[in-house]
Amino acid sequence: MHEPAGTDPHWRDGPWQKAGQRLTAHRPAAAGLTVLAALMLAVAAGLVAGGGPVGAALAAGHQSLSFALLAGLGGAALGLLWGGAAVALGERAERMMMTPAAALTGLPLALALPLAGGLLGPERGLAPMAVVAALIAAPAVAVIARDELRALLRREFLSAVQAAGIPNGRRLRRHILPNTVLPLAAAAWTALPRALMAESLASLLGLGLPEGVTGWGTAIGAAARAGDAVALAGPALLLALTLWALHGVGDGMRLAFTASTPGGRR
Amino acid sequence: MSRPDDRAPLRVEGLSLLTSRDILLDRLSFAIEAGEVLALSGGAGAGKTLLLRALAGLAPKGVTVLGDIHIRGRRLLVTQDGALDPFRTLGAQFAELLSRQSGLDERTALRRAAEALERFQVPAAARRLALHPHELGEAMRWRAALALAMAAEPALLLADAPAAALDPTQRVRLLSDLAAWTREAGTALLLAGRPQADPIRSGLARSNLADRRLVLAQGRLEVPPAEPTPAPSPAEPAPSGPPVLSVRDLRVAFPLGRNWRGEERWLTVVDGLSIELAEGETLALLGETGSGKSVLARAILRLVPPVGGQVTWLGTDLAAAPPETMRRARRDLQILFPDPLAAFDPLMTIGAQLAETLESLHPSRSPANSAARLADALEEVGLPAAVLDLHPGALLPAEAARAGLARALLPEPRLLVCDEPAATLDGSERADFLALLQAIRRRRRLALLYATQDAAEGLRIGRRALVLLLGRIVESADSAILTAGARHPYSRALIAAAGLAPPALHGDPPSPLRPPTGCALRLRCPLAHDGCAQVPPTLDPVAPGHRVACHVAQDDAQNDAQVGGKAP
Ligand code: SF4
Repeated sequence: MHEPAGTDPHWRDGPWQKAGQRLTAHRPAAAGLTVLAALMLAVAAGLVAGGGPVGAALAAGHQSLSFALLAGLGGAALGLLWGGAAVALGERAERMMMTPAAALTGLPLALALPLAGGLLGPERGLAPMAVVAALIAAPAVAVIARDELRALLRREFLSAVQAAGIPNGRRLRRHILPNTVLPLAAAAWTALPRALMAESLASLLGLGLPEGVTGWGTAIGAAARAGDAVALAGPALLLALTLWALHGVGDGMRLAFTASTPGGRR
Repeated sequence: MSRPDDRAPLRVEGLSLLTSRDILLDRLSFAIEAGEVLALSGGAGAGKTLLLRALAGLAPKGVTVLGDIHIRGRRLLVTQDGALDPFRTLGAQFAELLSRQSGLDERTALRRAAEALERFQVPAAARRLALHPHELGEAMRWRAALALAMAAEPALLLADAPAAALDPTQRVRLLSDLAAWTREAGTALLLAGRPQADPIRSGLARSNLADRRLVLAQGRLEVPPAEPTPAPSPAEPAPSGPPVLSVRDLRVAFPLGRNWRGEERWLTVVDGLSIELAEGETLALLGETGSGKSVLARAILRLVPPVGGQVTWLGTDLAAAPPETMRRARRDLQILFPDPLAAFDPLMTIGAQLAETLESLHPSRSPANSAARLADALEEVGLPAAVLDLHPGALLPAEAARAGLARALLPEPRLLVCDEPAATLDGSERADFLALLQAIRRRRRLALLYATQDAAEGLRIGRRALVLLLGRIVESADSAILTAGARHPYSRALIAAAGLAPPALHGDPPSPLRPPTGCALRLRCPLAHDGCAQVPPTLDPVAPGHRVACHVAQDDAQNDAQVGGKAP
């Protein structure tokens, strides 16, 4: 028992490597990561090569993915700020801030984007749409982030840190913040599929990305209206694939970074 | 092993389980007679579950089974989770089983089912049959699972760590009921589970749980020493001198939010406890889930904030202590956690965390000096210095427990508060760790506050012991006195359970949210009378150094005293 398993080459692997291994051990996550990487490459290549229905679909992917990334990052940042502030500001503030967040996650928020698109009219810019999409993604992130932070603050090692007389500032910097990284990354990731979904839905209705910017949703909508099955298949498939991959990675992150983080096992 | 009997429900000869790389079980031979109860123990990973699965014909893929397994009659495996079909009521599950097996119609089957549950002292059994498994408490689910298994009338029942998560008094009661039933029905019962390293010997009823015990270690079966040596009561003199730690009227409660009328509701976990501890003294806190022992341990170190009362260390009131004073007190007061692995930050190496503790509590040391101290600390607990470079995730439970002990010893504490420090360990690992803890305590003359639900362990380690029930002390005395003759019905039950004798308590513990009026044990107590519901008993002395909170025990003590007084 007292010799660490020296023969196993992984015995020294740090917690970060282990988390990565747990993530890729989750099949949908590994597949999702591969698909996402391939898509990125294909989209980039499509931009260069261009032409044909495939090239068009890939070019549309560029718009959709950029928008989703932008809005998703915004939503993630907002949600993390929201959840983090709620936990930091004490119990009453937490209740006041999280009750609306929880209520909002119960609503079909994705419909708010086409609504905003309609209200802003055809002259709408990209930025306001991204802000609305970010707002749509934020409440769910906030709820997950809050739950993760609460669970973290209950963990035993923080009691041990306290028993060691470590001052609060150092406890926050050295112990709490590093341990929030992975669970909060998992929380933040959920904003990406949400933003992509909302944008595609709105664009499909013609109320999403502004005129002249063609995303997958726009392409699907146009093809459907024209009754062009071939033009429809490409973007629809790519969109479905991307959403599936994003969800797969999200699930994997949730499993690998939260429940089974060493020391937080259940 | 005794001579193989051809009619035994289970006979195993030369059973080996192999994978392509390892020998998991090595030539096991044993038999269980009809109506016999065999307890199989062994540390975590010893292969108990594997053996049971192999006996049930469910060996995992990739495992080769060699040797002979002879089974006469039906065999049944109850797995660790006591699996019941979550989507159907208990009654439906019984009815299906009994109709498939004995062709009983539904009415008869339900009557049989109710009888089966009644054997486990389930009140109003017939009504429970309408419930789904998730509507039952953990204890009730286990009773149902075992009753269902027994209703199938197996010749051989294999039970894998049944009811392991229950409190000892509930678990031992349940297993005793099961054993009584299998004996009566002539079923061979194989009980796998955590070993009772050293069942307590007390004046109370003796264990009749198992007829034989076998230990599985390193893939082989061993017969444990026939009779465990009686626990030597700690032969240390009572430490004298003023108390170093004194806890007065400590109350800890957690807010539960508001009810529908907007009133704040509180869950009181520690309810006005007072204890005193002298230099070098050892005090055991005995109690089960919800007794408040663990919260008390943490409240003493101010890891949970008390809502009332006082904790005084060397004359300083810790609640009012400024940070610098508190930090100095933390040098003296250290704690061992129930899950040592979870008590380390998963992202930092053990060395970094030990160094951080040392630096925080003894800031003046030079780096070279502190490196040497870390190595010494690990050596003291029997770990190699290489552990310093590891992250907690790379440690085995036994190593984590020792690393936790090393961290607690670094600041050279004078009081070690232990909250079930061996809860994650089994078998010899557990015994080794506790022996180490005892040796270190003696060498360093540490005072020890040892919270545990295992009365045998607590009474062996503590010179004095307190029995806690729902946040209050119900009995306090020297361990030797409690071992020989505890007076409170709950203490007696805890001690009986530790000796694997059926505890004389019925039913399940009340919810801490709605404790009964009067005495907290009233609904489970075999001695309860009307008075117990009205007046909560107070903790009063019944003999020098022995205090009990129970009306009946106090009356008995008084009668004894009177009889004793008249005799001369
Ligand atoms: S006071 Fe009554 S109910 Fe409580 S333990 Fe004593 S006899 Fe039992």
